[in-house]
Amino acid sequence: MNVDQLVREALQEQAAEQGGPRGDLAGRVLATRRRRRARTITGAALGTAAAVVVGVSALDSGREDAGPASASRTGDVIAHSGQSVPRDFVAAGKTGLAGYSVTRDVPQRNGDELLARSYFLLNPKTMKYEKADTEWAWVAVAPGMRTAAVLEGELPTRRVGMLDLRTGKVTRWITLRHGVAAVEWSPDGKRLVATAYRKNPDLMVSVPGNGSVNWPRHHGSRTGYVLIEAASGKVGPFRDVPQPDPDEDGMFPGVSRQDLHFNHDGTRLYVQQYARQGKKDYRDWYTLSGRPTSAPPAEKHAGRAQAGLSPDGRLLAADGDAKGSPVLDPMTGRRVAWVPSQEQLAWADSKRIIALACADPARCTGKNNDPKRLVLVTVDSKKAVPLTGARTAPQGYKRVWTPMLTAR
Amino acid sequence: MDAESQDRFREFVESRSSALLRTAVLLCGGDRHAAEDQLQTALVKVAGRWSRVEDPEAYVRQVLYRQQVSWWRLKWPRREVAVAEPPERADDGGESAAELRVVMRGALARLTPRQRSVLVLRYYEDLPEADVARILGCSVGTVRSTAHRSLARLRSLAPELAALGPAAAEASPPRDISPVEVRP
Repeated sequence: MNVDQLVREALQEQAAEQGGPRGDLAGRVLATRRRRRARTITGAALGTAAAVVVGVSALDSGREDAGPASASRTGDVIAHSGQSVPRDFVAAGKTGLAGYSVTRDVPQRNGDELLARSYFLLNPKTMKYEKADTEWAWVAVAPGMRTAAVLEGELPTRRVGMLDLRTGKVTRWITLRHGVAAVEWSPDGKRLVATAYRKNPDLMVSVPGNGSVNWPRHHGSRTGYVLIEAASGKVGPFRDVPQPDPDEDGMFPGVSRQDLHFNHDGTRLYVQQYARQGKKDYRDWYTLSGRPTSAPPAEKHAGRAQAGLSPDGRLLAADGDAKGSPVLDPMTGRRVAWVPSQEQLAWADSKRIIALACADPARCTGKNNDPKRLVLVTVDSKKAVPLTGARTAPQGYKRVWTPMLTAR
Repeated sequence: MDAESQDRFREFVESRSSALLRTAVLLCGGDRHAAEDQLQTALVKVAGRWSRVEDPEAYVRQVLYRQQVSWWRLKWPRREVAVAEPPERADDGGESAAELRVVMRGALARLTPRQRSVLVLRYYEDLPEADVARILGCSVGTVRSTAHRSLARLRSLAPELAALGPAAAEASPPRDISPVEVRP
């Protein structure tokens, strides 16, 4: 036997004795890669946030990151396309995923049904989403993602908390004269609009009676709203904006929760109305002092798409179907472009929209239960960049998560 | 890496990691833990270039081999390699083929990573010298001379191997300087 033959045999024998690698090698590799990327991403997030938000400087750029592997950062886009439930910060352009909510039905003893929300919020220290205190029945994250306005316990409630997202502590409680069930920040983060209701608008009320009408249904108990100055906690005068009375059959026409929202530049308020009885989606408009008014010219064609008017005011987002959605000229309402997504949630900049889009064309029918993922679409581009995986229900929940997007 | 790429990467690792680990173990002289580390490091590299790498297995193998060479360059004089058996055994003159393979395994573990890499490429992967040179990023002459010296060192490390016939690589004197035949 030659020495080279023995070398060959010895190597082959040794190789043949080896089993496969231990555990999930691919998972370890992807996790390692994600950790390295996370350091870069977190460091970059620090740079961005420091310019915009005071206080995010507490981020730990070297912290270990245990999220899934498909993290990617391209320019100003931070995506985790492998996370079907977001665990690590997702952002694009000026907008980030501040958190998400999950709803569940809670049957009540008297036959009513309560739609309860659970919140998962970004921890600016770890740049991860964490389950929020179960006491929070409503959470609205302020632009900058440093503070959230919270409502606690049973809605409606008479105080609004200012939650420091870094510490998880409420730094101030603002007491109100009326019970409110929603708060929303103005685009500049300086004011809140708090919508008042007599009864929890997330409660479907069981109506005693016979036959087919005896099921829990909407009631409509909105009374009005107040504006709150965030810095001082000063509460403005109460403004009456009641919902219509029940019809002759005792049925409330519409949905109970009809919150007030700020418009594009924070100069007016509106209530979103959804298509019914032959009418398309439309908005009821109010001045900040609660007087009914007309739509601002650039928002008169605005529908249910949350993204609304682009930052530069030149484009208006609209919701479409599983195949895509039109982008409108805000002044004429005509379609000027197209995006390959279904629900437009927020503009990342004046050309890109963070949206929900079909995650599996073979299974999408345009219905609400289509598998969808958070994507970034560019006006007039066919490409949808996945920001998350196809939405699934978080552990312990039956329903998929609802994204909460805000300026970062 | 998007979800689809991630799935492809997982499929690749699942299907090829055993074969790649075998090579890594040989390169590490039988040190399984070091081999797993080396393989994981190589896979992290290929994951980072996943969309641009046409042949991920070839890429991982090249990274594995070059890591060995780099490691050898950085760490010289090399650290000890843990082996299960002592490389030298008492010469009782009657080694079976199996015993000789065990002796050879111990001796291989005591080679430098670079020497071992050349032998693994030549005798386990059965690659021609030109391919070995390309993978290691050196000249064919270097491959030839390294193989020659490696075999000679094996003999010196294990007297039991003295009776074996010379390998083809030992037939000609080593040439450290030779025309570069590395293919692009």
